[in-house]
Amino acid sequence: MNCDWIKENAALYVYEELPDDQRHEFEQHVERCLECKREVAGVRDFKMTMSAVSMPEPSPNLLAASRMKLQEALETANQSQGWSRFAFDLAGWLQQVRLSPALTVALLVFGFAAGTMATYSYLNGRILGGPGNNPAAPTAEAGIASIRGIVQEPNSNKVQIKYDQLVPAQKEGSLDDPAIQQLLLFAARSNTNSGVRMDAVNQLVQKPEDSKVREALIYALRYDKNVGVRLKALEALRPYVKDDVRVRDAMLEALMGDPNPGVRAQALGVVKNVRQDASVRAVLMQLADKDSNVFIKSESKRLLAQTPEMD
Amino acid sequence: MPAEALVLTAVGARGPKSLPAKAGRMVSQALNRTDDSLLIREAQRGDRAAFEELVRQYDRAVLRLALHLTGSEQDAQDIYQEAFLKAYRNLGSFRFECSFYTWIYRIVTNLCLDHIRKRQVRKEDAPVVTTSEGEEYSLIDQVSDDRAHANPEHDLMRRELGTKISVALGKLTPRERMVFELKHYQGLKLRTIGEMLNTTEETAKNTLFRATQKLRASLAPMRQS
Repeated sequence: MNCDWIKENAALYVYEELPDDQRHEFEQHVERCLECKREVAGVRDFKMTMSAVSMPEPSPNLLAASRMKLQEALETANQSQGWSRFAFDLAGWLQQVRLSPALTVALLVFGFAAGTMATYSYLNGRILGGPGNNPAAPTAEAGIASIRGIVQEPNSNKVQIKYDQLVPAQKEGSLDDPAIQQLLLFAARSNTNSGVRMDAVNQLVQKPEDSKVREALIYALRYDKNVGVRLKALEALRPYVKDDVRVRDAMLEALMGDPNPGVRAQALGVVKNVRQDASVRAVLMQLADKDSNVFIKSESKRLLAQTPEMD
Repeated sequence: MPAEALVLTAVGARGPKSLPAKAGRMVSQALNRTDDSLLIREAQRGDRAAFEELVRQYDRAVLRLALHLTGSEQDAQDIYQEAFLKAYRNLGSFRFECSFYTWIYRIVTNLCLDHIRKRQVRKEDAPVVTTSEGEEYSLIDQVSDDRAHANPEHDLMRRELGTKISVALGKLTPRERMVFELKHYQGLKLRTIGEMLNTTEETAKNTLFRATQKLRASLAPMRQS
């Protein structure tokens, strides 16, 4: 590792893109070479200059206008269909079949089987058919929860309707039962009733070591509308902030963007234990610089002051 | 109601929170891939609501990138629109070989590169932003800085620095500008940048090196003074 190499890689070093082994050698060289030390200081200085003036965020108005415009355009946009991407090349296919006797035999067998099954199901339908056994009458079985989409096939009178059925059911079991866990995970994420979501999270916090449960708790912390549910999830995730980067990211996101000051304060209390982490430092610096919440701002400043520089 | 459908209706109930610039990388890493996969599969089946949820997860970052690179709100909006429409039309060809984030960024970076190339042919620099009403202002001048209000001299220096940075960035080649933007302002890893630009990590490294050298040379007189 010579001085030329150092100069060529100083930017990668400053932008934290050097692999660990090279980084170590790099630092050792810079430690004993004044010229290279100057070069690295120059790149650092440059990076600071470029960061001194932050770039603007798109205004909420611009974002809203862009979303509206896109929504309008999507009304008329069509997705390219799978079959059109693979336009059928009959000549090529015939060529392949001619050269592949095995494929030809397989196709014949498949055709025969499909024909037999179609005949069977047709006869079966005729025997069992009738108004009472019409499988296309779902409302007789259960209520319709919602209609998800109605599509009319072009040039025909056929209509395809996607709908959801609501079938009340009940399940009992221990927390270790995978079916129970699945229902709890589902309830934590999807239920419209915040009380049910809270109950589900209350159960799930007993098993935060499970990866799926942890994901559900992270989801609750990020997206749940109810402050109580978010706080509950935050507390359950607290022990994992050191070892699980997803938890750390979710905490930082809550710290920066949660609409509730209480959740933000709790998140700050959690991430302070990992304040040496580069992403945590970056967030703390930003909050200390310009957060509108006085407590968050002053506490971030205090934590930063207590944290030694890593570089 | 099928579990998957319910999950989808709940995804992004509060939507992604708006985060300042430095948190971009952190947030992108933190995005829930499982939710993405579900949404993509639903969108591939023609569910527009699922696609709109996907859009909402990434559109702020997309708009921000386009705004930085084009320097025009109108152009940024056009790129935003074109990118997501392209994604919608071609979603069927998405094969989960990379993250949706990488995929949509690949589309956006290509559109931005085309835009920068066209602009360079027209020999226009972009230190100013043109609003949809036709009003022009310096892109970087618009950044709010609480400290500046207390100190007019600092405010002036900051504006001057902002203009010089814009001019220096305008001297880079489109690809250098893109790699520098994705690395410095968006905080992405060079490996990811390589994937987005359909090139190798090594090439991205070399491009970053050239970009920093050029920018340092452009800004050197100012930093010495």
